[in-house]
Amino acid sequence: MSTVPRLVIFACSRSAGEAFASLKAMGQSLPSDVAWVNLPCGGNVDVLHILRAFEAGARQVWVLTCYEGACESLDGNRWAEKRVQEVQGLLQEIGIAPECVAFRPISPTMAADLLAWLEER
Amino acid sequence: MIVAERKPMAEILSFIQGVNRLLVVGCDTCVAVCLAGGAKEVAVLSAALRLALRERTPALEIIERSVERQCEEEFNAPLAEDIAKVEAVLSMACGVGVQTLAEQFPNALIYPALNTKFMGRPETTGIWAERCLGCGDCVLGRFGGICPITRCSKSLLNGPCGGSSNGRCEVDPEHLECAWQLIYDRLSRLGQLERLYAIEPPKDWRPAHDGGPRRVTREDLRP
Amino acid sequence: MKSGSRLERLLEAGHFVVTAELGPPKGPEVTVVERKMSLLAGACDAINVTDNQTAIVRLSSAATCAILHQHGLEPVMQMTCRDRNRLAMQADIFGAVALGVRNLLCLSGDHQTFGNHPSAKNVYDLDSIQMIQMVKRLRDEGLTAGGDAVEGQVPLLIGGAANPFGDPFEMRIIRLAKKVAAGADFIQTQCVFDVARFKEWMRRVVDLGLHEKVAILAGVMPLKSAAAGRFINANVPGITVPEAIIERLSRAGRGAKAREEGMRLCAETIQELRTIEGVRGVHIMAVEWEEAIRPIAEMAGLLPRPEPPERAVGPTP
Repeated sequence: MSTVPRLVIFACSRSAGEAFASLKAMGQSLPSDVAWVNLPCGGNVDVLHILRAFEAGARQVWVLTCYEGACESLDGNRWAEKRVQEVQGLLQEIGIAPECVAFRPISPTMAADLLAWLEER
Repeated sequence: MIVAERKPMAEILSFIQGVNRLLVVGCDTCVAVCLAGGAKEVAVLSAALRLALRERTPALEIIERSVERQCEEEFNAPLAEDIAKVEAVLSMACGVGVQTLAEQFPNALIYPALNTKFMGRPETTGIWAERCLGCGDCVLGRFGGICPITRCSKSLLNGPCGGSSNGRCEVDPEHLECAWQLIYDRLSRLGQLERLYAIEPPKDWRPAHDGGPRRVTREDLRP
Repeated sequence: MKSGSRLERLLEAGHFVVTAELGPPKGPEVTVVERKMSLLAGACDAINVTDNQTAIVRLSSAATCAILHQHGLEPVMQMTCRDRNRLAMQADIFGAVALGVRNLLCLSGDHQTFGNHPSAKNVYDLDSIQMIQMVKRLRDEGLTAGGDAVEGQVPLLIGGAANPFGDPFEMRIIRLAKKVAAGADFIQTQCVFDVARFKEWMRRVVDLGLHEKVAILAGVMPLKSAAAGRFINANVPGITVPEAIIERLSRAGRGAKAREEGMRLCAETIQELRTIEGVRGVHIMAVEWEEAIRPIAEMAGLLPRPEPPERAVGPTP
């Protein structure tokens, strides 16, 4: 990429991935400073992935997973949220605003919301 | 196993103020198992340190390594080259590993990134609890396999005290079980309650650390 | 006679004894001790002096007991296992005896995390049962815990604590029996609010014949208000104040009226405890309310206190 991604999104393919696909089908594309990383399940996200994203220059990281109860791996979404909380704690300890990393549940039909989040950030 | 946890970041950062070349070295035995100081944790800590210091110490370079067991010199020997290149070493091993590195590389500045807590076991996912404090003269056979020295807050040998309530220890009822309730229940189950009728005499604390730092020598294994 | 103490002589003569607690000041302020002594003098047979109670540092029990003895009062020194190893325990015991103390209550002690020096190191070299055994050996065999001969005599009436309401329930009698076997001469119990439950415990004690081997003094505590009762239920493990008592205090009103009712309730409890087989006395714990002890003893018909028979033979304090 020519620009350093300022927002890195770790996305559960089953929820966020679907919403994103809908967005693309509508002709929308990602802003140039946003990197999209599809994960088989939100639970695959690791503390290290998030930290590396910040090291690479990101200002924000989002972790998007299925809603509570909708995770096809049962509790992958809950683990993802725990990883985000872990990173928030670490960032707080080193003097970086913990809000830089955010956890958000999303459903496959929420393409419009996804678009709004991207525009509001 | 030995259980440890990462020190607060502020404390770790205070050790490496002004350091531009740093080695972070983990251990893949006990501290890896309790997810505090293994190779993975080395990577996470190093990333966090770089993020923390990217403005203050922009030239910071971190070498990331992990060894099988930091308490044995033969595993640490290959670190010599890296240690020669850095200004300080952050060890993510338990206190034993940190000290081994310090003894092995006496000219290097070695700092502990972890607080070594206790000898214990994982009770369930994400929770480790103390089980043995190394008194040097194991009494587990007399108490149904439950250690009154370690698990009783007052190390009573003729417990319980008046602070046992609903099977919890009043020192921390949320997290601590009363060891003597456990011992009573276990001896009951084993049909050995009469063990509790005998008065346990005062403990000889010499085999514990009270007698001084300890050593074990096996003459049959000495060259 | 094991100690020749006033308490021992009264028990031997078959009296129902009264002991009360005195909490020392948080420093060397002797005037506090003097004020409390004047409140308790003549209202009880012996005065327990607490030992860094709740792990809060106070004027030492040994020193306070010496002051009591100098003023002609009978002290019961309390010693916990929390702050001293066996060396310091024995040294302090020798010191206390040399200064006139003749009664010793051996306790485990509240953990230091509860007090005002939570970062202190734990001792707990011995537990309370081992301490009782050690003191008996000092007294009856003239031997220290290390096996050396003691220079001089250690005439002490040895006491232990018991909690008839604590957990595990089954262990409470076993532990009492162990303390008796270890050498306890008297037992002071945790404060009794639920007399019915206490009666059950005493029945088991009597069944085992323990009441004949050791003098059991039932603990009582006056409550200043319904709120105090509720506080105990919420915060103090092992003690339950029955609703009926809290209700009675609540109905009594506030301030002085509630305190009056609290003292009256305590006196009534004492009178009921007197009727129970095996109960040889009462131990009144009025924490930071030593003023209540004389009125309670009065209401319970315990005054004036008897004079014990002269000691026949024995070391002079």
